[in-house]
Amino acid sequence: MEDIIHHIKNQLKKKEVDDIVLGFSEREGKHIKFVNNKVVKTGYELTSEISIFCSKDRKIISTSLKDMSKAKADELIKKIIRFSKNIQPSNDYYGIAEGPFNYKSKIDYDKRIMDANELDVLEKGMNKALENSKRVSGDLEIWHLNNHLITSGNVDVSDKSSSIYFSIRAFNKKDESGHMTCCSNTLRNLEVEKTSERAAEIASLAKNPKEIKSGRYKVIFSQMAFAPLLNNISDAASIYNVESGFSFLNELNKNYGNFTLEDDATLPDGFNSCRFDDEGVPTKKTVMIDKGILKTYLHNTSTARKYNLKTTANAGLISPRPFNIVFDCKKGDVFDVKDGIYITNIWYTRFQNYHNGDFSTIPRDGAFLIKNGKISQSLKGLRISDNMLNLLKNIKCCSRKVLQIKSWEAEIPAFTPEVLINNINITKPTQ
Amino acid sequence: MKEGIAEFCLKKAQEFGCKYVEVRFEKRSSNSFVMKNGNLEISGFDITSGIGIRYKINNNIGFISFNRFDKDKISSLLKKSVSSTINSSRMAKDIYFSDEKKEVARYNVGQKEKIEDFTEDRKIKILKDIDKEIKAIPQRYLSLSDEIAEKYYINSEGSRIHSLIPRISFMYFITVSENNKSVQKYLPHGACSGYESIKKWDLEKKIPEQVLILENNLMNGIKSKKEKMDLIIGSEVTGIAVHESVGHPYEADRILGREAAQAGESFINVNMINKKIASNIVNVIEDPTLENSYGFYLYDDEGVKARKKYLIKKGMINEFLHNRETAFEMNNKSNGCSRANNYDVEPMIRMSNTYVEPGDSSEEEIIKETNKGIYMKSYMQWNIDDKRYHQRYTGSEAYLIEKGELTKPVFAPVMEITTPNLWSSVDIIGDKIEMYAGNCGKGNPMQGIPVYFGGPVMRLRNIMVK
Repeated sequence: MEDIIHHIKNQLKKKEVDDIVLGFSEREGKHIKFVNNKVVKTGYELTSEISIFCSKDRKIISTSLKDMSKAKADELIKKIIRFSKNIQPSNDYYGIAEGPFNYKSKIDYDKRIMDANELDVLEKGMNKALENSKRVSGDLEIWHLNNHLITSGNVDVSDKSSSIYFSIRAFNKKDESGHMTCCSNTLRNLEVEKTSERAAEIASLAKNPKEIKSGRYKVIFSQMAFAPLLNNISDAASIYNVESGFSFLNELNKNYGNFTLEDDATLPDGFNSCRFDDEGVPTKKTVMIDKGILKTYLHNTSTARKYNLKTTANAGLISPRPFNIVFDCKKGDVFDVKDGIYITNIWYTRFQNYHNGDFSTIPRDGAFLIKNGKISQSLKGLRISDNMLNLLKNIKCCSRKVLQIKSWEAEIPAFTPEVLINNINITKPTQ
Repeated sequence: MKEGIAEFCLKKAQEFGCKYVEVRFEKRSSNSFVMKNGNLEISGFDITSGIGIRYKINNNIGFISFNRFDKDKISSLLKKSVSSTINSSRMAKDIYFSDEKKEVARYNVGQKEKIEDFTEDRKIKILKDIDKEIKAIPQRYLSLSDEIAEKYYINSEGSRIHSLIPRISFMYFITVSENNKSVQKYLPHGACSGYESIKKWDLEKKIPEQVLILENNLMNGIKSKKEKMDLIIGSEVTGIAVHESVGHPYEADRILGREAAQAGESFINVNMINKKIASNIVNVIEDPTLENSYGFYLYDDEGVKARKKYLIKKGMINEFLHNRETAFEMNNKSNGCSRANNYDVEPMIRMSNTYVEPGDSSEEEIIKETNKGIYMKSYMQWNIDDKRYHQRYTGSEAYLIEKGELTKPVFAPVMEITTPNLWSSVDIIGDKIEMYAGNCGKGNPMQGIPVYFGGPVMRLRNIMVK
């Protein structure tokens, strides 16, 4: 593989391509899907490719090579050159990072992750959940990834990563369910039993759910429920999304509330942690929002140069992106409310207007009415219909306990506590 | 090459003891272009090819995918995968398939303006010409992409199906601002065709018109009072409602709980066939065979011949969407709804083209017959719970109706309603269909798949609008 990747780089250089970023990846994965207490699919995947990003006279081209032969690589190079003649330059492109760089981060890695006995892991989780629920469904995924990145900016770096992800949804009677996930870079740190216990606990608490009146409530978001919203907020901090209209964080140095939001790809246990971003810049912690103040957007080298800034090491070569989200705010007892609602999961967040932040999202699984700090009733049929800027302004406090959450609705892993937010608008079907 | 390697995979899996085997070889050649605020951000092309093998051993399902075609490597991967599936049998469900006919076929979708002949500069010109018409607004995001998907499907029951499907898609997302207020609109377009569909979409005319509509709504739109009234919904709203609250809950894998931990379950249960769910005039069709439609196919990814089907007939639940597994469980035949979005993922039950059958009233007649109400012609925000019962649609283009006439624009009216109430409230259905493209997400790993949905203008009688 070394030969091919260097061959492509050399050939593109010969053709006077200006910037070149080549990323080889080989991905091996196992996947088990379980439904109603039974395994319904075992899956195995092995794929490899070289992703190619290049610019010639500011014309930006993205492609990839899957067949790793020299002949196919040469064919592809010819096509890149032909393609570049037919397209137009990007006025918004300002180049890639110049290395070489030193890479210091140490990310947790489990070289034997593919040898893990996935059935044992699964069985532990399912059995634990079934102690307190009638049926369970979910997924277990195990991945190993080899990466090698070389660029025309003097980057030549490789890495290996491992990951394991478990999702379990527990059910009792109709409308009584609980969902929880866990993820880790190593098998030993995956908390399968705790996760399963929690999913079943929520399902068992969700007995006889009832509807409540629409109106404004204090809402406690569990870690699982808050992580998808943190995905929306962090996506909004990418400069690409700000420029495109996909962001409600439209003003730097403005106060958006009383909380701190970071992106940190250097955390050893961060599920998306990595030593370098997509152009080879060493990753780092970036404080996007500091005590409510929007300090910076997420940048790659090109977008940073456009604004006379330095990259935040968040390439995405076109669109900068967060790796691991970290949220914090004033610590407190989030359940210390006279009347409130506790939400344990959300799904289907959609925006009426990304620019002003109008959105709605649907609580799913156990949701509970809180009276004087205690669960008093299980709820159903809720929708949060509000504005993201209002939501941020109304963040009151958070729990000390932080979990790393990745889920179907939260693709970017988030380290998040439980969060109490005042004055959230709850709606429901009017007929 | 693909035939040989696919046959090799099938034979090898059988040698390892698999009783049922299906192999999909897929090759996709694609191009994509993104223009942001007038700047060509990126142009790309890609060719992916690979093989996905789904098999049954001891009645348990295994799936394997790879994109390198070395026969020794394939054998060792298959062996590993089969062994893993055998190991899982102590916890696995016995899965059976409905008996289906062996199919041998070859089909392709014709193109007038062929994707492969349509040069990159012409594709970029499409974006530039649209952008030129709307450059007065500062935030505009346009993307154009095309794909030629070649598929060779074989299974151990003798089916052999070749297909070649070209697909083009376009999406715009625009922000219109005035006096610190803004409105946005996002709308995808798609077709299984060559570039001739671009002309039909008439984007250079329609998108500037949309800008004017948004400006009118932003500057002059009134907020509706929360009250019961007649709500007329346009084809775009009918389309998303039929996709979300009819198509999804009728997917038999959801009904049986197979998607419980991802896209959810369904408020529909296996005993609800022939139960009343909508007013008598409502007929809902799911039809993958619509020529040039975005969700087009003639054979599904289990080799079953696709066909038109009524999900709702005269207001009654008529048929679910099935694959071979759910069809067996419900003592039925598959109706050809199994789709995978690429070689590396398992096929699962998906919609294709879903729409409400037209009635006999014109849009003008429906408005004229409405004394007081709102016409929600299009939407921006929508969502629905994971059983597909409780949904919300927020209007984009909307107007007040007074004494049978459209009077003022209405800003972001909201319909938040349950599925049975929505479909039981339909009292007039328009006579023209319009269809809209979308990419529908389901499964883990997430599979976004091209779908098409729509229908006519419909009136919902006496419902609460906020």
